[in-house]
Amino acid sequence: MMRKNQKNNILIAILIGVSFLLILSSQPVDAEEFLPNQNFLIGKVADNQGSPVIDADVTLLDQGGNSISEALTQSNGIFTLPMPNVFSNDLTVKIERHHFEELLVVVDNSDQQLLQAGNTVSIEDQVMVRVINIGFWVATGIFIVVLALIATGKLHTTLSALIGASLIYLVSYIGRPFLEDIYIFNFERSLQYIDWNVIFLVMGMMIVIAIVEHTGIFQWMAFFAYRTSRGKMWLLLPILMLFTGIASAFLDNVTTMLLMTPMTVQIAIALGISPLALLIPEVMASNVIGVSTLVGTPTNILIGSFGNISFNDFLSNLTPGVLVSFIGLTIYSWFIYRNNLKKAHKPTPVLMEKLAERGKITQPENLKKVGWVGLGMIVLFVIGESIHLLPAVTALMGATALLVWIKPNIEEMIEAVDWTTLVFFMSLFIVVGGIQEVGLISFIAENIGNFVGDSLVLSMLAVIWVSAFLSMAIANIPFTAAMLPVIGYLTATVPGAESKVLFFCLSVGAAMGGNGTLIGASANMVMAGIAEAAGYKISYADFFKKGFPAVLITVSIGTVWLFIKFVL
Amino acid sequence: MAGIVCAIRGGPYSRPTIEKSISLSIEKGQKIFFLYIVNLEFLSNALHANIQIMEEELREMGEFILLLATESAKAKNVTAEGVIRKGKVIEEIVAQCKEVDADYILLGKPQMGQSGNVLNIGTMDAFADRIEEASGAKVVYVEGNDAEESKK
Repeated sequence: MMRKNQKNNILIAILIGVSFLLILSSQPVDAEEFLPNQNFLIGKVADNQGSPVIDADVTLLDQGGNSISEALTQSNGIFTLPMPNVFSNDLTVKIERHHFEELLVVVDNSDQQLLQAGNTVSIEDQVMVRVINIGFWVATGIFIVVLALIATGKLHTTLSALIGASLIYLVSYIGRPFLEDIYIFNFERSLQYIDWNVIFLVMGMMIVIAIVEHTGIFQWMAFFAYRTSRGKMWLLLPILMLFTGIASAFLDNVTTMLLMTPMTVQIAIALGISPLALLIPEVMASNVIGVSTLVGTPTNILIGSFGNISFNDFLSNLTPGVLVSFIGLTIYSWFIYRNNLKKAHKPTPVLMEKLAERGKITQPENLKKVGWVGLGMIVLFVIGESIHLLPAVTALMGATALLVWIKPNIEEMIEAVDWTTLVFFMSLFIVVGGIQEVGLISFIAENIGNFVGDSLVLSMLAVIWVSAFLSMAIANIPFTAAMLPVIGYLTATVPGAESKVLFFCLSVGAAMGGNGTLIGASANMVMAGIAEAAGYKISYADFFKKGFPAVLITVSIGTVWLFIKFVL
Repeated sequence: MAGIVCAIRGGPYSRPTIEKSISLSIEKGQKIFFLYIVNLEFLSNALHANIQIMEEELREMGEFILLLATESAKAKNVTAEGVIRKGKVIEEIVAQCKEVDADYILLGKPQMGQSGNVLNIGTMDAFADRIEEASGAKVVYVEGNDAEESKK
């Protein structure tokens, strides 16, 4: 059996290694390879939305239809066919790709003469047309099934996504020999859809959170809020909401609610009020304030990585709007719960003593270390963009620093990394990749593009409010993952959207919309589960009654802010 | 040792059950064992839930709820003890009854249309039979709103 120190060192070495690899991968690469005395036929292939078609088989055919050169299109859609030493005229380029119609391009005479003379020739850009076949419908069906399984909670979220990914492989590998068109993609292709920046950022933050949650900071914050308010409910409510929101912005909102809820329940019971009068505003604040940072919500992590939006971009573009939304949410929360909150009485000495005991920092030394490392991480998140440092690298370096400095029990740390969440993200990327591969995302993007036309205002309104309403009905992580390529398309085609404003619209809509229903955000479900364990059940209907107006208020304020920031 | 086991979750529905257990204790002169069960099943579908931390947190929350109940009993000079168990609710209630050789087990009676209770109208009789058979304790269901006793 390995000793504890050896295991610690191995984990730390792995984290350092991964950080190093991510740093290398984040450096811009501009070197190209050239072979001497070799000429090429070069071209670029895109779909009808202008997105590059990757991994298309490109074959150069001679007069007799024989293959004389082959290549694959690269990530930018470009293919480079090496020319043989001797070839006849009447050349044709054949381009094939699953889910697209086959394309035959005749190389014109002048280009053929240049090629014969040993020159490299670039033919005009080619557009491939998508085909809707059985594979399209199967991938779409699988995606809908996954969404339904997650929404109903019949299966674990991770298992739902894993089933989706496995079904895609099943039809692609087992179904293909029987029905060619059912093919979606192979394993190698599916891996290209996994956003490893997201996976490593989530993993790094999990390790940081696992260390933070043992320090007792969340319980201390809740009790500090009570002490600071001196029993005044109009003060306790906003302080608790603000603390929860700030913690959610830098950690994750599920963990924050997991740890804030039990202590809040105890404070509320001691005060003789319903815990729901504090918990529902808290979780809504968590979902709203989390929008202001890259790591505040899982949806922002996805958006930031896909849209190449930095920690700074989120802070500077969203924080003012988020703060005004928070003020609106606080006023609304006081308004709906004021009668309940006004019933609060002074806790008995016994209960007060128990609360004070719970509200202590349990690991002060570790908390200091976490504070320093956390500060360093925030600095790196902020300056990261200017030195090509990916947020995932910062998270991994922060996690490594904490492991080296605090030396926690490695078994506990490995258990604390929620591998099921990481598997969920990977499986989800594959399922969403499936609908991207078969063209569903392109189809949706094209139709939304046709609907909004060239209007940035209409695009913003559509993205914010459609995201907000859909996030109430379906889990916002898979929804956001599916919407990202659509937003990417709109960003490239709608005039004025190059500021990435539509990504911010998606961030606001998807996260704040989660307040509308109990299933809208994972943090809502966790809070409700703990409250029920304390005898305070909240039904879907009750949550909707409180949450829906909150969505209207906060998303409206968010919309106005985005217009002020990006349009006016 | 004989006693009264009073299973509670906290919240308004548990208050009548606590009150009833106190009055029964005064009547029978028996100690009350307020029972809170930590059940983490609601986290089974949640992403990123640290089960170990959550168990500790729910234990602490349970202790607080039990403290409230035992304080209520002490105020009426009734001897009471808070007990926390972890596991499936029904199994743990049966185990606690056996452990203290309980004469009575008090439970909140599920309300019509009330979801989330481990029992429902259809299963409460069967559950009562099971406990009585396993432990010999008499099951007393207490109405949620008016604390009206409903003995089997």
